[in-house]
Formats: sequence, C-alpha cells, structure tokens
Amino acid sequence: MDNNLLKQQIIEALNLEDITLADIQDDAPLFGEGLGLDSIDALELFVLLDKQYGIKLQNKEEGKQVFKSVNTMAAYIEQHRTK
Amino acid sequence: MNYIIADHIISPLAQGTENNLDAVLAGQSALRRYEDRFPMVEPFCASMFVEADFETLCIEAVKGTTQEASLLASPQTLFIVSTTKGNVARLAQTEDIALIDSARRIARSFGNENMPVVVSNACISGVCALIAAQRILETGMYKHAVVVGCDVLSTFIVSGFQSFKALSSDLCAPYDAARKGLNLGEAAACVILTSDAHLAHRSMGSILAGAIHNDANHISGPSRTGEGSYRCLCDVMGDKEALAFVNVHGTATLYNDEMESIAINRAGLQDVPVNALKGYFGHTLGAAGLLETILSLHALHRGVVIGTKGFLQQGTTQAVNIDAKARTTDKKEFIKLLSGFGGCNAAIRVTTKQIPDTPQHPKAVYETLADVVITSNHAVLNGKTISAESRGGALLAEFYRAYAGDYPKFFKMDTLARLGFVASEMLLSSLNEERFVPRSDRAVVLANRSSCLQNDRAYQRTIMPDNYYPSPALFVYTLPNIVTGEIAIRNKYYGESSFYVLDDEHQLEQIIALAFEQSQTQSVLTGWVECTDENTFEAHVRLLKKL
Repeated sequence: MDNNLLKQQIIEALNLEDITLADIQDDAPLFGEGLGLDSIDALELFVLLDKQYGIKLQNKEEGKQVFKSVNTMAAYIEQHRTK
Repeated sequence: MNYIIADHIISPLAQGTENNLDAVLAGQSALRRYEDRFPMVEPFCASMFVEADFETLCIEAVKGTTQEASLLASPQTLFIVSTTKGNVARLAQTEDIALIDSARRIARSFGNENMPVVVSNACISGVCALIAAQRILETGMYKHAVVVGCDVLSTFIVSGFQSFKALSSDLCAPYDAARKGLNLGEAAACVILTSDAHLAHRSMGSILAGAIHNDANHISGPSRTGEGSYRCLCDVMGDKEALAFVNVHGTATLYNDEMESIAINRAGLQDVPVNALKGYFGHTLGAAGLLETILSLHALHRGVVIGTKGFLQQGTTQAVNIDAKARTTDKKEFIKLLSGFGGCNAAIRVTTKQIPDTPQHPKAVYETLADVVITSNHAVLNGKTISAESRGGALLAEFYRAYAGDYPKFFKMDTLARLGFVASEMLLSSLNEERFVPRSDRAVVLANRSSCLQNDRAYQRTIMPDNYYPSPALFVYTLPNIVTGEIAIRNKYYGESSFYVLDDEHQLEQIIALAFEQSQTQSVLTGWVECTDENTFEAHVRLLKKL
C-alpha cells in the first residue's frame, strides 16, 4: 500500500485545500487538531474505502479504529481490499 | 392573535387527524422494513405510502381540512409550504423541480393567486412554517394562512441518510438505551390559521409563542450542550406549570435524543412529561413539525399525553419524564420542539384554550447598515466596486482569501454556501463591530428561487446505478438552509437562522421584517443568494438593524 497515494486520495475526497502530502504524517492522528477534520469527513472516508478499495465498514466505531492514522488505514486496506 | 381552525393529516397509518390519533392511541405504527423498495439502497425501516406524489399529497392534505373554497382562494389567504426536498425524486428525469413552482401549483389548485412562501429549513421546517404563519397573521400581512407540509421518500433521501449512518435497520426507539438511529417516514399535514375573531368559535387552539435558534456549532452534529434547543425552550416556555408535555424531536439517533435531554434539563423542564412520535410515523421531514403539532393538539383536547412507542428504558445521560404508555392530563398547553441539519432548532408553545383576541401590531421598521452584491464577475461592497482577477467559482475563492482566509471549511462548502459565506464575510468586515463574539440578537435569513439545485445535481451523480457511492459531504448541502448555519457557526450567532424559497427578491423584501418578531432579534443578516451552477450565481446580502 502506497501511503502517498492514500494521502492524495484523502486530500481529494475531503477537499483539503492548501494541504500537501508532507502535511499529513504517516502515524499522526487523522482526527483532532491537525487537519481540522470532523464527523462528516469521517463519513466521507467510509465512501473512499468503499469506492477505491471495495471495503464496506459497518459502523462508526469501526471507522474510529481504522481512521486513527494513515498507517492504520493503509494496513486495514492491505488486509481487506476487494479491489 | 392566531386561531387554528382546521387541520388534516394523511399518513400511511390513516387518513385524517382523528383517525391517525385513534391509530396512535391504539398503539399502531406504520413503520415496516423495506428490503428492495429502492434499487441499490440498503434495507431500511420506514413508514411509506404505496405510491406518493409530493404535490398530490399536499393538495389532498389541504382538501382534507374541508375549509370553504372562498377562504382558501381569498386574496387575504397565504399558502405556506414546508418541505425539505419536495419533488427531488424527479431530478433523475427532469430539472423542473423548483419548490416555489410546486407551491404555486398547490395554491392555484385552490384558486389562490397569492405567491406562496416555501420554508425549507431542514427538519425544523414544519415548526418554522407555523412560526411564519403566526408572524404573518399577527402583523396583519394576511388574514388567513394555509400551512401544508410534506416530503416523500426516494433513493435521493434514503441514500443520503444512510451515508450519514443515521438510519436504524430496526424499528426506531426514541430516548431508549438501545436506540440505534432514526426511521424515515412519508406524510402530509395541513394546518389552517386565521386572525379573524369571527372564526374564533371554531378554534382548536392558538400558537402562543415561537422561537428559532442556531447551535452555532456544526452543520450536522447536534450541540453537546443542546444550545439552540435550550434557547428555544427558554423563549417559549411561559408558565411551566401550565405545560401538559413537551413533544420533542426524538429521532432516536444517539446524539439527537442526548442533546434534547440536556436542553430539557438546562431549561428546568425535566419534570414535565416528554413524548416523541417517531415510533408511529418515522421522521416525516418537512411534514414532521405540522403532523406532530396537530396530533399533540388533538391529543390534548382528549386530555392525553401520547406514549412514546419504541421507548423501553431511559437511555440519555440526563433523565427526562418519558413513558411508553399514554398518560392523562388536565393541562392545556404543550411545547413542540424540533432540531435539524444546519444547527437549527425551533419550538412553539400551543394552547387548547379559547383565548381573547389581541390587536395586531405593525411590522418592524429597519435601516440598512451595509450591503454587498456579488455576481459571477464582480462585487460591489457598500456602493464601491471591488475588482478581482478571477471569474465564476474561482472569484468566490479569491474573495474568500482576501476577506477571510482562515477558515478552510470554505473549500468543503457547495457553491451556494460559499456564496453566502463570502458575502457575509465581505459585509461584516466592512463594519466597525467586534466579530466572533457569541450573540443571539442577530438572525441570518436568506432566500433564493432554485434552492440548492446545483448541489442536488452533484449529489445525484453519486447515486447513479453504475456509480453508487452516496456522498455525505454532498448530501448535507442538499438542504438550502445549510448556508445560514455556516454563517451562524462562523460568527457564533445563536439567533434565528432561516431559509425561504421564494419567487424573487421582491418577495423576500415583503417578509423580511417578520424576522424582528423574535423579540431578541435586533439585526438581520439577510439577502438573496441564487446559484444555478458552480460558475453562475448572484448574491445581494444586507445587514438590517431594527429601528
């Protein structure tokens, strides 16, 4: 799993204007202060996983675990992708 | 004064108000599970008609009131339509879905030639429409108001709520410890109000007070402190000893019910009986405020507090006085409370008593403190042309960087919200006032003709049969009032936030003074924000101050 590709997909899916790949650390929390993401962004990441990787997360709790950082997302995708 | 002289409910449960109330008191629910009602949409629980057409349902709901044709057609009668999405189910086939055109056809089918008003304030629309009627009657603009609310379900709406993970695939359980989300519902409901004292002998009741407040917190998440709902409850509460119950929104999502329980406790209403009706009808969107007010009113005439179907065990951190079973009461007033996307909240207090007539009062007088015009290629701020290098959508981004620049959420907004946001930033930056100080004396009231058609199209593209990935970030902006919420959140405005769909800017001019009827409101950020595609738009936004 290419972390930079995933970061690019996150930037596009969440309309993160003025944020570059270098601004997103591999192991930093995705949610919280850094990127200013909110609950709608989290839901939009569900769509990203489904659309790009064929992964359907069941509920918000599952999302919280998967979306901890780019690293956790990438690892989850590696294990569960269907496309 | 206003008198409720007729009403009608059409739901999948029953035809007519009394039949619906009988069914509810017998414990019936119209909710059931749908496996394949809409292609692609995951199974869901809802209350649905076999077939439903938005305009037909509205017309049938008005007819069901059996009012004289002369009253419905009178030049003294205004039609007010409450809906979130109207005919949006047809968007896949046609773009001719303008809410104001639907409203006009509904009014004209009764021979009424006045241009109707459409209230599209997400889930609080129905109560806002009743508040609009109250204000219109009490300032003497019209003598009678026909308020009709309806929404019909479609792939568009159900997929959007599913993308928000807001729906329960089981029957909803308002305020219950095991609640998992809401169920949607279809219904149409109509209330006819008059200020004519000669008709007071037919009165079922009156709206005593109404309030609309924004959470100034988030466009989809309810305030953790119940801010807007708390402020609405405080405004309309009156003598709490006279209250038979508070009929809450009670959608059965974790956050809504929790938020409401906090607002109720903050307002000191924890001992007053509370009930929610979503377990019978689901969340009927633009009809909800009307349907739930009508049923509450008729139940109170029978001395009954309807039970909360689906509730078993208290499931909010703050306790409220709620019961699955019906209770009796001899009190004569109730509060209807709602909240919705865009951070909006509304409440009314209604009495079943016959109350004496009070004289009408004139509309408020105001002055314009500042105004801004933005088109696709230029802006004029307080009479001065503002030059820019960009055109179309890029122009809004250029103005955003010049006048705000520190609010990256701007880039997540649809064009309508960007337009309203940029207009408000330009306008407010031209004033000599301290910004970002919490205040509830300023309302945000915007209007246009085409609602949020540009973003409706964008969302529709995410639910195509060959490309079905419903986007929550786009769905939230398919509610036109989100732009008013964005401005309230940015500026910490806890005052009214409202969106009207009207025929033209002149019509907004006729009704805008009504915003000052909310007693705290001293200034109104208002205007026309029209956007037909991402590069074609026009805004005329002003700040008005009460004199």
